[in-house]
Amino acid sequence: MNKITGLFFGVFVLFGAAWFGLVAYPYLTFAGLRQAKDDATGALAPQGNPGTAAQGARVYAANGCLYCHSQFVRAQDEGNDIDRKWGTRRTVARDYMFDRQVFLGTSRLGADLSNVGVRQTDPQWFYRILYSPQTMSPEVSMPAYRWLFVTREIQGQPSVDALKLEGPEAPSPGYEIVPTEEGKVLVGYLLSLKKNYPLPEAPETTE
Amino acid sequence: MKETAISELESHPEAATELIDRSIRVPVLFFFGSGVFWLVVASAFYLLSSWQIHTPSAWWAFPGVAWLSFGRAYPAFLNCYIYGWATCAGIGTGIWLLSRLNGVTLRSPLFPVIAGLVWNIGMISGLFSLLAGASTGRQLLEFPSYSAFILFFALAMISLWAMTIVCNRKRGIVSISEWYLVGAFLWFAWMYATANIALEIAPAPGVAQAAINWWYVGALVQLWLTPVALATAYYLIPVISGRPIYSYKLALLGFWGLALFGGWTGMTHVIGGPFPAWIVTASIVAKVLLMIPVFAVAANFHLSMKGHFGMLRDHLPLRFVLTGTVVYTAFSLAGSVISTRSIAQFTQFTFVTVMQNQLGLFGFYSMILFGAFYYIVPKLLNRQWLFPKLVEAHFWLIVVGFVLLVFDLTIGGLIQGFGLEDPQIPMIAVNDLLGPFLAIQDFAALLLVAGNLGFVVAFMLILLISRPVRQREAAIEQSNEASESTEAEVSVA
Repeated sequence: MNKITGLFFGVFVLFGAAWFGLVAYPYLTFAGLRQAKDDATGALAPQGNPGTAAQGARVYAANGCLYCHSQFVRAQDEGNDIDRKWGTRRTVARDYMFDRQVFLGTSRLGADLSNVGVRQTDPQWFYRILYSPQTMSPEVSMPAYRWLFVTREIQGQPSVDALKLEGPEAPSPGYEIVPTEEGKVLVGYLLSLKKNYPLPEAPETTE
Repeated sequence: MKETAISELESHPEAATELIDRSIRVPVLFFFGSGVFWLVVASAFYLLSSWQIHTPSAWWAFPGVAWLSFGRAYPAFLNCYIYGWATCAGIGTGIWLLSRLNGVTLRSPLFPVIAGLVWNIGMISGLFSLLAGASTGRQLLEFPSYSAFILFFALAMISLWAMTIVCNRKRGIVSISEWYLVGAFLWFAWMYATANIALEIAPAPGVAQAAINWWYVGALVQLWLTPVALATAYYLIPVISGRPIYSYKLALLGFWGLALFGGWTGMTHVIGGPFPAWIVTASIVAKVLLMIPVFAVAANFHLSMKGHFGMLRDHLPLRFVLTGTVVYTAFSLAGSVISTRSIAQFTQFTFVTVMQNQLGLFGFYSMILFGAFYYIVPKLLNRQWLFPKLVEAHFWLIVVGFVLLVFDLTIGGLIQGFGLEDPQIPMIAVNDLLGPFLAIQDFAALLLVAGNLGFVVAFMLILLISRPVRQREAAIEQSNEASESTEAEVSVA
């Protein structure tokens, strides 16, 4: 292998093979995914997400939620995610077909969020855990995201989004703590995380 | 382009070596200096993020400060470490090696220094954007597209520079180090362009994004950082020890095996992910087969040094490099083991994967590059390291810190993994078990950072205070070293 041209050739061909397999092939094939039609009801799944969810995904990325939370459920034979009630079936490529950004994640210091919008449907729950996770459970290792909230004087009627906090965390009388626009879209995004519709390629696991 | 080979010096190798070193001194030191700067920045974010994960609401974790929160400090650490320290150090070392191996002098330092400046501008803009909340949320590609574009521009200049050196070569043989470096500089530019185009400019649909992101991460480690470090080891081990590389055929196997399997390894990060099964399986198979080139490289280094390990006591650069090559085997072995499906089930979301990454970054790559700094900088400056004890302290602090970190994260990560896999144990209880391990991680991180600060101080001292070695001594040293390197190159031919 003393010829430099042979070296260049090998370097291109061998790397090119992996490039075709893991870049070009997925790029082209996943573009061909279509919604699945439920034979009984005629419903299409998955449904696209509202626009605020896409904005919320930007906030999710900016604040690095993905370094502690994953967003995929493994099949029953690859892990105990389903027993942990993180989903009723494994997640598949089609679940993510409308997502502008996919945050699979590689760490589970926090819970998996694939179906967090199924488990929690009240925005207040999300506001509370983002503003003050330790008031929900003292040992939780999640940091507080207070920059997603503002404390302001109540003008007329209290805001519907205002946090319901008691004790030392509560705002002074006449004031309220409300989420910023970023906080609202982030929670909108988290509420939209639901992968509980049926898909033919991922049947629900039955005990 | 700007390089030229000086053919009349071919018959005077020692003079040629000195001329080459003098011609690339400014750009190589510029990249080295940048690397050291980013190592300091990365260390600060490393300490901060390890404290934050341990005690999220203590004052030293800066709770409530958005730009210093864990979700930004942690990617800041990784990006500054990989693109700041590791890449700048790797470019400096790679260019020095290519110039030496090809007998090419640099005519003007302007082009590479501009490339280095552009790279740093990209880094600074990327870091500030990340801290300000403009992260893309793609792992190891967090810098927003404008910073990525600046970085790519610099990278294209650097790769072009490297290829110009190779094409101006005056020597007939292509050495082992050069294979790795040609691959590394071409692959890095290729993968970085691909990842940014396919994720930012013309975004891939759905999970194809995740596939491309993890392909990139695997390739970055296996086909940029790894070949740079191995090229350095293949040059420095024979040159410093005076022992030839044991087998050319093993070296061939090591290189082509890496080139064949390295680009396929990335998807092992998301085993069980929402992909067709074959994609993940291909990565797992590649990661296991990667052990063939890894063992070939390990055997080659071991057999080259066999019976001469006593040299490690007195030759500090060699000690760093050889330690790094040993950790390379451990890093790859750990990577293969935790990539098999039955084990990944327990380890893939835990600190075990963090441990494996840090085996690669701290123990393999940085160890070899530290050795390269300790060897190259005195040659470039014609000066000696002040306080050899400081270098010794650097070695032992990072070795102790690193070993502690690896054991701590392995045990902690396994406990975490078995906890996560038992649905009866709530998440909070699993994380509670991690407490003592995170405390030990803080301490080990402190040792590592203290050791690296010793390195930074030593680098500042040799750059700013140390005086040139007397001419006569320098001449003797130069001629010794020149004959050593000639011998080493002949022996691998």
